[in-house]
Amino acid sequence: MSEAGAQRSSPGVLKEPACGPDSPIVRGTAGGRWGRVWDWLRRASARISIRLLAFNMLLVFLPAAGLLYLDTFERQLLIEQERSMVQQGRLLAAALSSGAALDQAAATLVLERLDMRLDARIRIVDRDRNVLADSSLLGPSRRGGEEASGEELSARRYWSYRLGALLYRAYVRLFHSRPESPEPADLYVSATRAAGPEVQAALDGRYGATTRISGGGQRSVNLYSAIPIRSGGQVIGAVLVSQSTFRILQSLYEVRIDIFRVFLVSVAAAAMLSLLLSTTIAHPLKRLRSQAGAILDRRGRLTGHFKGSRRSDEIGDLARALEELTRRLEERMRLVEAFAADVSHEFRNPLAAIRTAVEVLQEVEDPGERRRFVAIVEREVARLEHLLADAREVARIDAGLHEEPPQPVALNALLEDIVSGYRLRLGDRCEFEVSAPREPVLVRSSPERLTQALENLLDNGVSFSPPRGKIRVTMAVDRRTTTIAVSDQGPGIPEQHMSRIFERFFTCRPDADRSAGDHTGLGLSIARSIIEAYGGSIRAANNAGGGATFTIELPLSH
Amino acid sequence: MRTPASSRVAVVDDEENIRETVAFALRREGYDVETFSDGQSALEAFKRGLPDVVVLDILLPGMDGLELCRALRQISEQLPIIFLTSRDDEIDRVVGLELGADDYLCKPFSMRELVARIRVLLRRAALLRTSAPSPDEKILRVGDLRLDLDRYQAFWKQTPVALTVTEFMMLRALAQRPGVVKTRQHLMTEGYPDDTYVSERTIDSHMKRLRKKFAAVDSQFDAIETVYGAGYRFVEKRSSTVS
Repeated sequence: MSEAGAQRSSPGVLKEPACGPDSPIVRGTAGGRWGRVWDWLRRASARISIRLLAFNMLLVFLPAAGLLYLDTFERQLLIEQERSMVQQGRLLAAALSSGAALDQAAATLVLERLDMRLDARIRIVDRDRNVLADSSLLGPSRRGGEEASGEELSARRYWSYRLGALLYRAYVRLFHSRPESPEPADLYVSATRAAGPEVQAALDGRYGATTRISGGGQRSVNLYSAIPIRSGGQVIGAVLVSQSTFRILQSLYEVRIDIFRVFLVSVAAAAMLSLLLSTTIAHPLKRLRSQAGAILDRRGRLTGHFKGSRRSDEIGDLARALEELTRRLEERMRLVEAFAADVSHEFRNPLAAIRTAVEVLQEVEDPGERRRFVAIVEREVARLEHLLADAREVARIDAGLHEEPPQPVALNALLEDIVSGYRLRLGDRCEFEVSAPREPVLVRSSPERLTQALENLLDNGVSFSPPRGKIRVTMAVDRRTTTIAVSDQGPGIPEQHMSRIFERFFTCRPDADRSAGDHTGLGLSIARSIIEAYGGSIRAANNAGGGATFTIELPLSH
Repeated sequence: MRTPASSRVAVVDDEENIRETVAFALRREGYDVETFSDGQSALEAFKRGLPDVVVLDILLPGMDGLELCRALRQISEQLPIIFLTSRDDEIDRVVGLELGADDYLCKPFSMRELVARIRVLLRRAALLRTSAPSPDEKILRVGDLRLDLDRYQAFWKQTPVALTVTEFMMLRALAQRPGVVKTRQHLMTEGYPDDTYVSERTIDSHMKRLRKKFAAVDSQFDAIETVYGAGYRFVEKRSSTVS
């Protein structure tokens, strides 16, 4: 038994060198067959479906590993059986040694007395190896002796047993040298002679034990134990206890077959489960991947988008997030393209004026006329410069407002500063009226950007304001937000333009104002971009008593 | 080739500097110029009396150039209209057959070019009014194509095809030497003799529109061929039915 254990442990030792080329150090450089196999394995195991299958199979193989543990269990059972046999033999030997002589009658008598309580076959042998008594010949009730060789394991009828046996034999052939088969049990064919070496050992005064395979090609074996019978220091015979392991083996086989069946069902279940998981995880992921591949064409243009998904799981979430991402990207690209088109459009009018004016200048001699056209060229050049600066500003705000770290800004102080600057610059042109809270009103933003947004609103108010008109700036605070309203006494916003005044390049100014080149139609849209970047909002409305009011709402910093 | 000095040109543009400069230059050429800064006031003035040619900016406050053009076509089918555009994507809408623009220029345009176009449109209008063919009529026939070089009129298999002046000039350049490839550069100087600031892509859109206009008359039209990497050529394909 211990020998078999030693053999079983050997495969691990044998396999060790085979793992060598797999080690990371060798893998990188050596390449070769193992390198390729490793690469293939790595690629294969990188696929989610394969991994799912592997994990599921791992779970299934855990009970299968239990099959192997059963061998240890079997060994222990057999040792127990042998021990009990030896026990029985000793008792018997002790009983027989009390008598002076060992004869057939005494031996038979002892056996008959014991028969009902023994589950092994017991033979009593004299010094000349003649069988004096045999428990199997005593009666019809022969329990637990050697089984008839013709009897089949009932389990063999099952296909699962045959499949299992096939796999087991393959396993044994691969990893074990063939176990030494015990000698067949034909030593005891004769009912009157006991010729086995264990009997000889017992007669020599030692304990003798042998395992012999049963006839009929079964895996069940018979255990033979021979115990010497001593009388007065002399060995006068031996008790030969033999028992088939058939019963133990049969129940173990049944357990094995049950486990094997569970294993087969589990393999099928694992395969199904992997397939299911693969269709619910790997397949939709693959679809997302193919969609991702189709989104940009070879020139890097956005041509497609993610299709989204109605699935309610995480992959559905991912698909929807990607759809939203591409949708916003498309929107963004559309805006950028529209902005580029708008910019080129806005540049063309001043360019057209400059070009025609220059052409006219070439043909006109009158100094008064020439001054007029030179002035046109100058105004339009100034307008182009203004446009260029504003367009750059828009691009900068679009690209990197978030690059300037927002900091707490005391909005009321900032507002006072800005308005004092306007008062200084404009003098009597406009009157400013500011009402703001005394205590600091803090918002998180970049002070420069916020100044720019407020100035754009004030510039807008000033430009529409009549001479000496009043511009009223009102600041109010509630729990979470602050609002700043800039109100002018200008003509107000025509209702049909109300929805468009924050659009880039949209203007609805008197003609003369536009030709002066100070207004690009970008001021309000820049203000909106800035305010929205800091989580605020901006809106416009006409006052009941005339003029327009622009209202900024910004979240307070806490 | 002098245009009658009494010809009246209306300039509709909301850009004051452009309006003033164009008006000044046209007056120097001897035209009688009216200027309007928006579509509404222009339309009201035109209802009282039509000018001989209208120079029309597309983007106008209130009623824009396209609306004004449609309204004008209700009044007169013949009135020559030349558009000023500053957006590439507007051109297709302007030159679309249904709108009936006679020609257009992209901003920034050359004043000389504008003057030349106005002259062509006025002459074409004058010739169309006098329906009697002049004795020294100049006609170019290539296959199924017939070009009336004075009236700037094109016919395909006897059917008139409404072309803008620019399109006509480019087609004439192609049809004068059938089978010969004309580069984009060449077509550009033919179409815009006084303007060097036209992009080569513009030629492609012209060719596309030319094909579209002819295809509207004859769905089998394939006389304008693209020669990749070189330019375009006119292929003479005389149909068997037409003499």
